Amino acid sequence: MSTASRDRILAATKANKPTETSLPTVPDFGGEATAERFTAVLTGIGGSVVWLDGLAQLEPTLRQLFPAAGRTVSPLLATSAAVDAHTPTEVLAGIDLAVLPGEIGVAENGAVWLPEANMMHRALPTITQHLVLVLDHRRIVATMHQAYAQLPNTGGYGAFIAGPSKTADIEQSLVIGAHGARSLVVLLY
Amino acid sequence: MNHATRADKFLLDADRTTWHDETLWFVREKRDRAVYAVPEFQELRELASGIKDHTLSRLDLYLREFEAAAQANGVHVHWAADAAEHNAIILDIIRQQGATRIVKSKSMLTEECHLNPYLIKHGIEVVDTDLGERIIQFREEAPSHIVLPAIHLKKEDVGETFHIHLGTEKGESDPQRLTEAARQHLRAKFLAGQVAISGVNFAVAETGGVVVCTNEGNADLGVNLAAVHIACMGIEKIIPRLTDLGVFTRLLARSATGQPVTTYTSHFTKPLPGREMHIVIVDNGRTQQLGRPDFRASLKCIRCGACMNTCPVYRRSGGHSYDFTVPGPIGAILSPNIDMKKHSSLPFASTLCGSCTDVCPVKIDIHTQLYKWRQVLGEANEIPASKKWSMKFMGRVLASTRVYGLGGQFARRALRLLPHSLTHAKSMNAWAVARELPEAPRQSFREWYAKQPQPVSSPPQPKVPA
Repeated sequence: MSTASRDRILAATKANKPTETSLPTVPDFGGEATAERFTAVLTGIGGSVVWLDGLAQLEPTLRQLFPAAGRTVSPLLATSAAVDAHTPTEVLAGIDLAVLPGEIGVAENGAVWLPEANMMHRALPTITQHLVLVLDHRRIVATMHQAYAQLPNTGGYGAFIAGPSKTADIEQSLVIGAHGARSLVVLLY
Repeated sequence: MNHATRADKFLLDADRTTWHDETLWFVREKRDRAVYAVPEFQELRELASGIKDHTLSRLDLYLREFEAAAQANGVHVHWAADAAEHNAIILDIIRQQGATRIVKSKSMLTEECHLNPYLIKHGIEVVDTDLGERIIQFREEAPSHIVLPAIHLKKEDVGETFHIHLGTEKGESDPQRLTEAARQHLRAKFLAGQVAISGVNFAVAETGGVVVCTNEGNADLGVNLAAVHIACMGIEKIIPRLTDLGVFTRLLARSATGQPVTTYTSHFTKPLPGREMHIVIVDNGRTQQLGRPDFRASLKCIRCGACMNTCPVYRRSGGHSYDFTVPGPIGAILSPNIDMKKHSSLPFASTLCGSCTDVCPVKIDIHTQLYKWRQVLGEANEIPASKKWSMKFMGRVLASTRVYGLGGQFARRALRLLPHSLTHAKSMNAWAVARELPEAPRQSFREWYAKQPQPVSSPPQPKVPA
């Protein structure tokens, strides 16, 4: 059934479309690509930023930030439990803290690009109770234009994550921790 | 039932109407603050409009490009001419999996196609996972806003609903605790979900991938745990290039809720090995709208809801008064294309103030289209006889100086002489149902002006340097 519909839809689209117009060129609008701006915006949307004095400080910093963390997973920590694309859902559901390397930070909106290759499992960034993204502060860009310009592609799956999961669906009251991570910390180094 | 009679029901609770009005205006103000913080915002609107115009002008080619790229990514692409075919395709995919437990994130298209009742009728459990959508699913209501589906409800209503369906304590109305109860309830659904259905915010022709924007993370959690992902999109969701997302992601959340960006901007491009991804591309009246030169710009809509939040009529009549999947000003220009008779009152549910056009991130001329739909509806005899004949009558009166002058004299005298109960008779004068007519003056401006002495000399002219 869908081949006939496909042909009909494409034919009707072709017949009904307007005269061709040109595709605009999107300029790079510049902007402020600083850790200060990134921090201010991310804090404003419910996330937080902590500076890391080099990656060697990762483990002690995490112990300090999450003293009561249960099951922690990370490709950056030798001690962490193993998670990969085949980890069963029941195991994922028990994860308390995921510490993942972010690729690009966006100063204008506090988002961090997290490609599939950095996630261990596609569901990990949303199924974990708490999420930490580790980001090189030199990878902060000003805007989404600059972020997309740096992406070679979006892989099989990838997401810009800006702050913790949240909702305002009950009377417009902001509640942090809807379905995904209840908190988001970006560790800048 | 038309928009006005449905709005009457909403207006019965004055306190709630005021709350609704003020809450949406608050969202509009948040939008303004976010927008003013971006110096190039107006340029971004212009770019977004230009990209969408261009895309519509080559839509068949971009759809082909998108299909080919998606198939190269290992994605199954389906085409549905209408809602029935869309629903049948999805049921077929679910049945091939032998699945019965479906988790669904927000998709106005599936609302438009009435997918949920169709699946439930066929024995499939479908759970809406967006918090607002879950609330209204429990209540068996339709969303009243495309971004804030439960904006017509108060926290006490949600508390009562969750008490019945989730066993929360009676009288509990704290949003934090109610959200936590929904989180626990929906986690179990996510973990058990076999097929995940999502909408699509943007479909990138160049990569064949789809982008879904949420704050809750429900699309990502559902899709990434289920064996099969079905993404449903209208043909107008296409954008040409990955870099075009720079423009649209900067506009969408700022226009919608005043956030700098949604929490999750997720790019679904390829399924994992052993899993499946399907994309259903739907027409359902869109190619027809593309063929209407006056109305095709409505297909540029990115579903931010800004036109609803700013609309003085929407804010005071509620989403359900539109009785269409997409309410508010944009819904009022999309709906007559689907069913002109059923939705004939919607283009009149507007003051034509143009605020919708001012805030639209892709610069759709919404209020102009509302005006043009009125003309089309008039031509097609789809407006009430009283409105039609009074408009014709007024057209005659306003076209002739003499008739207008005489009419004015008559009206001024009649207003003075006739009893209030007659001039304000609700059955005859809808305008006066909630308003007082002004006191009629003795004479019109023209009559007054004619009695003034003629000026003796011409007024002093400003000196213009040679």
